Amino acid sequence: MEYALLQAVFLPLLLSPVAYILGRKVGPTPAMWFTFAILLYTTIIVINAALSGTVEEHYPWTEQFGEFGFLMDGLASPFAIMIYVLSTILAIYSKPYMIHKFHEQFEEEQKINHSESGQSSVVESSALTNYVNAKSGLYFALYLVFAMGMLGTVLATNLIEFYIFFEVMLIPGFFLVALWGDGPRRKIGLMFLFWTHAGAVVLLLGFLMIGLTLGSFDFADIQESELPADIAMYSAVAIAIGLGVKLAVFMYHIWLPYVHGAAPTPISALLSPAMIGIGAYGIFRLIVEFLPATFSELAIWFHIWGLVTMIYGGAMALMQDDLKRFLAYSSISQMGYLLFGIGSMSAYGLAGAEMMYVTHAIGKGILFMMAGIIIVKVGTRSFSKLGGLAGKMPITAVCAVIGALTIMGVPPTSGFMGEWIMFYGALETAIAEGSTVRAVAFGLGLVATALTMSYMLWMLKRVFFGKLPEHLQNVKEGSWYMTIPMMILAGFSIVVGIYPDIFLKTIIPYMNGVMGV
Amino acid sequence: MATELMGFEIGTLSAWLVWILPFAAAMIMPGIGKLSQNATKFIAVGFALMSAISAATMIPVALEAHELHHQIMWIEAIGLKAGVLADPLSIIMANVVAWISFLIMIYSTGYMKGDKDITRFWFWMMFFIGSMQLIVLSDNLLQVFFGWEGVGLASYALISFWYRDKKKDHVGTEGRTVLGMLDYYAPTHAGMKAFIMTKVGDVMMIAGMLLIFLFAGTFGFKELMGNTDWATAMAAQGLLVPAFVLLFGGAMGKSAQFPLNEWLLEAMTGPTAVSALIHAATMVKAGVFLVARIGPLVFALGAAGILADQFFEIVAWVGAITALLLATQGMVNPEIKKVLAYSTGSQIGYMMMALGVAGLSHQYVDGYTAGFFHLISHAMFKASLFMAAGSLLHIVGSRFMTDMGGLRKHMKKTYAFMWAAGLGLMGAPFITTGFWSKDAIFAAVYESGNEWALPLFAIAVLTAIITAFYTTRMIGLVFFGKKSKHIEKMEEEGHPIHEASVSMWVPYGILAVLTIGIGIIGLSAEEGLHHTFEYYLKNSFGIYSSHAAADESSILPEFLQGLNPVALGASLVAFATGIGLGYIFYIGRWVDPVKFVNSNIFFYAIHKLFLNRWYLNAIVYWCFVTTPLWLARGVSRYFEKTAIDYGMNDGVQKAASWGAKVIQGTQTGVSQSYLFVFGAGLLFVVLILLM
Repeated sequence: MEYALLQAVFLPLLLSPVAYILGRKVGPTPAMWFTFAILLYTTIIVINAALSGTVEEHYPWTEQFGEFGFLMDGLASPFAIMIYVLSTILAIYSKPYMIHKFHEQFEEEQKINHSESGQSSVVESSALTNYVNAKSGLYFALYLVFAMGMLGTVLATNLIEFYIFFEVMLIPGFFLVALWGDGPRRKIGLMFLFWTHAGAVVLLLGFLMIGLTLGSFDFADIQESELPADIAMYSAVAIAIGLGVKLAVFMYHIWLPYVHGAAPTPISALLSPAMIGIGAYGIFRLIVEFLPATFSELAIWFHIWGLVTMIYGGAMALMQDDLKRFLAYSSISQMGYLLFGIGSMSAYGLAGAEMMYVTHAIGKGILFMMAGIIIVKVGTRSFSKLGGLAGKMPITAVCAVIGALTIMGVPPTSGFMGEWIMFYGALETAIAEGSTVRAVAFGLGLVATALTMSYMLWMLKRVFFGKLPEHLQNVKEGSWYMTIPMMILAGFSIVVGIYPDIFLKTIIPYMNGVMGV
Repeated sequence: MATELMGFEIGTLSAWLVWILPFAAAMIMPGIGKLSQNATKFIAVGFALMSAISAATMIPVALEAHELHHQIMWIEAIGLKAGVLADPLSIIMANVVAWISFLIMIYSTGYMKGDKDITRFWFWMMFFIGSMQLIVLSDNLLQVFFGWEGVGLASYALISFWYRDKKKDHVGTEGRTVLGMLDYYAPTHAGMKAFIMTKVGDVMMIAGMLLIFLFAGTFGFKELMGNTDWATAMAAQGLLVPAFVLLFGGAMGKSAQFPLNEWLLEAMTGPTAVSALIHAATMVKAGVFLVARIGPLVFALGAAGILADQFFEIVAWVGAITALLLATQGMVNPEIKKVLAYSTGSQIGYMMMALGVAGLSHQYVDGYTAGFFHLISHAMFKASLFMAAGSLLHIVGSRFMTDMGGLRKHMKKTYAFMWAAGLGLMGAPFITTGFWSKDAIFAAVYESGNEWALPLFAIAVLTAIITAFYTTRMIGLVFFGKKSKHIEKMEEEGHPIHEASVSMWVPYGILAVLTIGIGIIGLSAEEGLHHTFEYYLKNSFGIYSSHAAADESSILPEFLQGLNPVALGASLVAFATGIGLGYIFYIGRWVDPVKFVNSNIFFYAIHKLFLNRWYLNAIVYWCFVTTPLWLARGVSRYFEKTAIDYGMNDGVQKAASWGAKVIQGTQTGVSQSYLFVFGAGLLFVVLILLM
C-alpha cells in the first residue's frame, strides 16, 4: 500500500479536529467510536505493513534537515504495533472513565461557583451534558495527537524528525494530565513537561552534535566511523541521558510516580506501557544500531544502571500505598529490565529487552485498566482501604492476576518469553567475557524477579483478597467498555506467551543483524 | 505400535493427550460453570479419568522398555521444538499422577460439595494436574518449566482458595509468636509464601537451565544425552556441577527441601483435597521427578569421565537433613494436616536421599529404583491419609488433634483406612508398600559403599523411628482416648459424629487397601520396577549394572532372599521402637506426654525447639521479609523522598524561584537607577572599545 505509514501517522492528526467537533456537537459516544475507528484503521495499516516485512517511505523535506521518512523494520514494528493496539483498545476504555472524571470535575466547578456566587443555583442537566460533550471532544482530539506522536517517534528516519515527534507526544500528554488529572494536576502536568522537556533538550544536543559533525540528520547517513570518537561518546551519553529521563531510570525517575499517579487512568495506561518504553526504542535505534563501538563501551554501564533501577523500583513499589503510584514504581523497575537487557550486549539480550517492552505494555496496560476500574467503581486507590474485591469484581480480578503474572514473568504469559531470552543474553555475555561483574549482575537480576513477584502478589492480596471491608459491600463489576479491553489484552498475553513467534520472528533476525551474529 | 490416528502413533497421541486433556477441561470450565455449576464436577472427574486412561494406554510401552518421542516446531525464531518424551520413567510417573489425581477428584466432589466457588476450584485442580503431567511428559527443560511454573501458580491459587481469610481457614495457633514472628497464617498469606518461596527455587532452576542451554544449544533431554560435548566444555570451565546444582535448586523449592521447606506447612490452608493433590501426586513430587529425570544423565556423564559427584552428594545430604528436620517437627505439632505435611517433606527427603546415594554407588539402578518406588508407595498412602484427615476436619470442624479423640467407634471405616495407610507410612514389615520401599532405600544407602554411607544410614534409621512414632501419635490422638470437649460440645448441640460420605471414603479406602495389597506382593513389585528401570537406564543412558553374586551365606528365610540383612534388621527395629513409644504415650496412654515433656528441662527445650520449627521459619521471615522491608522503608524515607524528590523537584523549583526573586530585585521601577545602570554600561562598552 502506498503512503501506508504516512497515513498511519498523519490520519489521526488530521482527523483530530473532527473528533473534537463530533464530541462537542454530538457527544462522547460518537467521538469515542470515531477515534476508535481511525485508530483501528491505522492499526490495521501498521500490522499489515509489519507483516509484509520492512517498509520504508521517504518524502522530501527541507534542505537542512534532509528527508522526512518512515521506516518500519524488525525493531520498530513491535513498538509500533503495541503503541497502536493499546491506543485503539484504550479509546474504548476511555469513555466511561473520562465521563466519570468529567462529572466529578463538573461537580467541583459547580461547588466553586456556588460558593463564589452565594446563590442557590439549580444544576441544569443540559449544562452537564454540554460540559461533558465539550470536554470529551477535546479529550479525544488530544488523545489522537498523543497516539500519533508516539507512533511517529518510532517510525522516524531522521534525527530532527525524531525530535519533533518526541515533543509532539509530550505536549498532548501535558494537557491531558493538566486538564483531567487527579490531585494537584497543573503542578504535576508542569513537572511532566519540565522533566521530559529537559530530557529532550539534552537529547537534541546529542542530535545536533551528530548532525552538525556529519552534515546530515538522516539516519541513513549516520556512520560511526565518520564521527570522531569523542564526539560519538559525548553524543551517545547525551542521548542516553535524554532518553533515560523518558525511560525514568534510576535518578531520573522522580517525575514518573507523580505523573502516572495523577494522569487520567487511560492516559496512565498509555504513558507507562507505551510511552516511556520509547526511550528504550531510542537507545536501540540511535546508540545500539548507529553507534555500535560507543555502545560496546557504554553497555556495561547500561547493564548496571538497569540492574539498579530494577531493584530500586521494586523496593520503592513495596512501600507505596497508592495503587497508581505503586504501578508507576513497578514501571520504573520494568524499565530497568529493558535497560538491563540492552546492556547485556548480546543479540538475545537485546531481543529479550524488546520482548520485555511488548510484555510490559500488555501487562501494565491490564493493570492500569484494573486501577481505573477500581477508581471508578470503588472511589479509592489506597491499598489500606481496599481488600477482598475478587468476589465483587471477578473479571477484573482475573485479568489483574494475568496482568500481574505477565509482569512477574510467569509462563504461560508473555512475560516469561521476554524474561528468559533476556536473561539468557545476559548470561551469554557474562560467560563469553568471563566477566564477574556481569555474572553477579545476572544473578542479582534473577533475584530481582523474585522481588517483582513479591510486590505484585502483595498488591493482589491487598486489593483483591482477604476480608472485604464494610464500605465495599456494594461495589459492582466495571462496565463492559472497561472490562472487554482488559480481557482482550489478557488473552493476548497468553497467546504471545505460548506462541512468541508473533514478535520474535521479526525481533530476533533484526537483533542478530545488529549484533552481527 | 503400528496403529496410527491422524498421523500420530497411538502411544504418542496419548502422551500429548495426558496433559492436554486436563488443560482443555480447565479452559472450558468457566463456560460450563456459567451454564450449570452442578455439571462442573462431571467435567472435572470425566476429564481426569480420560487423562488417566490415556496414561494407562502407554503402559505397554513402558513394559517393553520402549520410548516414544515426538516433536513439533514451537519457537521457530530460536529453533526450539516442543515435544513429548514417554519413556518408562515418565510413563510410570504419569500413571501414578493421573490415577491418584482421579481418585482425589472423586473425593473432591464430596469434600467441596456446596462451595459456591466450585468452578474456580475445578479450574485450578485441572490446571494443576495438567501442569504436572506437562512436567512429566515434556521432552525439554523449557517446556518442563512451563509446567513447573504452572504447578506453582495452581498451588498459589489453591492454597489461597478460601481467599476471604476466614478464621477457620487459617493455620497455626492464633496469637502464638516465635522470635516475634506470628505463627498464624491466613490463606492468602500462605499462598503468597508458597509461590514466592518456590520462586526462589525456580530462579535457581532457570539459571541452571540457561547455563546448560548456553553450552548445549538445546533444552531437550534426548539431545543432551545424544552429544555430550557441552558437558566437557562446561566441566572445563567448572560450570557443570553448579549448573546441575542450580537445577536441583528448583527441585528443592518445589519439593520443599531444606532450606526452602517452610512454605509446605502453611500450604495446609488450602482445602484438604488440594493438600492431598499437592502432597501425593503433584507439586512436591515434581522436584523428585526432576532429579529422577536428570540424575541418570549426570551419572552417565560421570561414567563417561565427566564427573559431577558433588551433585549427588548435595542431593543426598539435602534429602537426609530434610528427612530428619521435618520428622522431628512432626512429632510435636498439634494440627493433623501439619503433621502430615511435615511427614511429606520428610518422606520426600528419603526419596532425594535415595536418588542422591544412587549416584554415589556403583549400582545406580538400586538407589534409583528405591527412590522411585518410595515415591509411588508414598503417593498412595499419603493421598489416603490426607483424604482421611480431610474427612476428620470436615466432620469434626477443627484442625487440631486435641479437638478430636475417641473417634474410632464413630468413624470405623476412616479409622481402619487410616491405620492401613498409616502402617504404610510407618513401614510396617512385610505387608505394606512403605516397608519395601523404605527398606530398599536403607539397603541402597547402606550398600552404596560411599564415605557418607554410615552417617546417612544412621539418619535414615533415626527418621524411620520418628516416623513410626508420630504416625502412631496421630492415630492415637484422633481415635483413642476420651472424647475432647469440642466433640462433646458438638454432640450436645446435636451434631453427632458420623462416618464421611461415600464419595469421600471410597477413594481413600481404595488407596489404603492398595497400600496393603501391593505391600503383600511388595518385593516382586519392586523387582519388576527394578527390572524396568534397569532396561531403561541401559537403553537410554548406557548405564549398566553389574549383578553382584547372590549372597550364599544369607541368614534370611527364602522369601526374603536378596534383601540386605542389616537394612532389614534396621527397618524392623525402627518400626518396633517407633510404634512402641507411640503406643506407650498415645494409645495405651501409660505415660502422660505433657507431664513427660515438662519433667525435665532437656525434654522441655527439645520440645520447644521442635514446636518452634527449629526457629527456621522465624529466621527466614526476619532475613527475607522484615529486614528488606525495613531497608526499603529507610531508602524510601531518607533517599527517595529527600534526596531525589525534594532535591530534584522542590529543590530545583525553589532554586528557580529564588533566582527569579534576585532578578526581580533589579526591576525596581525607579528611572534613576535604570539610567544609572544604563550609563555605567555605556561607559563600560566605550572603555572596552577604547582599549
